[in-house]
Amino acid sequence: MKLIDALTIIQKSAKSTGKPFKVALVCGFTPLHLQTFLHAELQQLFTDYSVEVVTGLYGDLRGTLEGLQSENFDAVAIVLEWSDFDARLGIRQLGGWASGNLESILERTILFLGHLRQLVENVSHILPVVLGLPTLPFPPVFFTAGWQASEIGMRLKQEVATFGALASHMSNVKVLNPDRLDHDSPPSARFNAKSEWSSGFPYQLTHASVLARLLALLVREPLPKKGLITDLDNTLWNGIVGEVGVEGIHWDQDHHNAHHGFYQQMLKVLSGEGVLIGAASKNEPSIVEEAFNREDLVISRDDISVLAVSWGSKAQAVSQILAAWNVGADSVVFVDDSALELAEVSLAHPEVECLQFPHGDQQGIFDLTLRLRDLFGKDTISEEDRVRLKSIRGNTELRRLAAAESEGFSDALLEQAEAELTLNTSKDPDDTRAFELINKTNQFNLNGRRVTQAAWRSYLQNPDTFLLTASYKDRFGALGKIAVITGRLGDSRISVDTWVMSCRAFARRIEHQCLKALFQKFNRDEIVFDYVSTSRNMPFAKFFAELLNEEPASPVTISRSWFDSKCPKLFHRVTERNDE
Amino acid sequence: MNDPEARLVKCFSAVFSELSEAELRSASTSTLASWDSLTTVTLIALIEEEFKIEVGVEDLERLVSFDSVLGYLKKAEAT
Repeated sequence: MKLIDALTIIQKSAKSTGKPFKVALVCGFTPLHLQTFLHAELQQLFTDYSVEVVTGLYGDLRGTLEGLQSENFDAVAIVLEWSDFDARLGIRQLGGWASGNLESILERTILFLGHLRQLVENVSHILPVVLGLPTLPFPPVFFTAGWQASEIGMRLKQEVATFGALASHMSNVKVLNPDRLDHDSPPSARFNAKSEWSSGFPYQLTHASVLARLLALLVREPLPKKGLITDLDNTLWNGIVGEVGVEGIHWDQDHHNAHHGFYQQMLKVLSGEGVLIGAASKNEPSIVEEAFNREDLVISRDDISVLAVSWGSKAQAVSQILAAWNVGADSVVFVDDSALELAEVSLAHPEVECLQFPHGDQQGIFDLTLRLRDLFGKDTISEEDRVRLKSIRGNTELRRLAAAESEGFSDALLEQAEAELTLNTSKDPDDTRAFELINKTNQFNLNGRRVTQAAWRSYLQNPDTFLLTASYKDRFGALGKIAVITGRLGDSRISVDTWVMSCRAFARRIEHQCLKALFQKFNRDEIVFDYVSTSRNMPFAKFFAELLNEEPASPVTISRSWFDSKCPKLFHRVTERNDE
Repeated sequence: MNDPEARLVKCFSAVFSELSEAELRSASTSTLASWDSLTTVTLIALIEEEFKIEVGVEDLERLVSFDSVLGYLKKAEAT
């Protein structure tokens, strides 16, 4: 981004009437253009908000952090540079470089980092923190020639790396990846001595722009994609299996095709992290099944949840997989070596992200795996991620049984499912799954509203609010935590602010059981739902319409007696928990 | 857009968004209270980015109005 573009974005957003989103930029140097770029990058990511980036006093990083604790922010971005640890590691303070006192620079740095670690931890208890470690080169402080690493220099970097590792372990702290920064902003083109001496801003504009973009991504953390659909021939393996036969396709070093094996490994890793993997191929199904029997495949048939193989179009195959997964097209990536088939899928499913597999271009294939890591990267791997593939299989089996019965999910089928529902009312702000469900569920979503981490924490800290989460399993498998309800308790009514449920949990009457639990647990006469119709929450509208015998209007009120009269028979074994 | 004057108006407009084009063209540190030292730093950074030049620190004190900046750019282009 150019500085003029950043300023233009900020000017346009000044007229915005969106909710405020306030970020503290904490750094020891004059924030100047970094503040401008960060503001603009955040504004582009938080389009519904009116972003404000506030900075502290020049040179007082610690003081600014200490002062933050009582302020009302949505996030904090801390950008460290060497001169914050000891002014002798900067260029604005003269004197004190003598070889005899290099140890004292190290000692001061260790002391500073220890204090900073405590401050970051304190702030992280109330606000999400993103942290950038030093990005600039050392000035010529050390006595070794430039091509020789200095022991003190290496130990300084070691202390910072340890600090970064400890910070990244904190639950509400994300550390900027120095490798990505090196890739996007070459280290030799970062420092601006003229600007540092004249205004106290040490960065070249290009570096400030890249740093701001990565910090903004850390603050926003785009939702990871859920599924990847891959082509097979000349993508998952080299060769066209229908022409060269099962033994003629390769993905190994011996046949100079290790890059296909590397791609397989990437998909296998993603599958293990809870990403749904599907394959779409124009082939004879029997020969593809035979290919998947090869024991030297890096990815196994079990890692692939749906195999759509036919002579039909790729767009049809993608439709089939999307239906089996029951996820939105915008959360799916399609990879194929054929530009024509990518175009066909893109036309039929414009929300699917289509990526070309650069067949024959090893560097391009490596870069593709980096791109996949960005699209599917997540903060943590949850239990729900681990069970997702099994639960999709279980769902498929349940739906197959339901389809075999004339009335779909009949009482008999649900009774035989041996369903267990665990309801938990502990308000744990570190429950990342509840936060994730609210921010990524589209279909069964009361009003489509998303929340920021800071707003989520603040909501849960309010003693008048409640949080109810539901975990589900049956004989077809565990679905993990699949529903979240938040609200407030009044004298005679419950006000529900948020209600989301994973699409994998549809048709099991879990929504009815949740409502029943709300009435029973909180013993109120009615529930008022902050329902808003969105372009994607039709399943919620349908649920209300069936319960109310009419199309829902906003807000929706349901009395206990009405619910009792309309609730279908429920078969879950319900367990209640509160982990607080 | 190769016209340096129009490009300079664009730079000034990014910093002083509330001013009309005529007001931008007559802007100077003595007539604009909002043109302070930080504004100068932003303006010079924009100009360096737009015109792909480097403005010397010693030149900064002469760049106090739209006209003086335009004159500086024309001179820089000629040399």
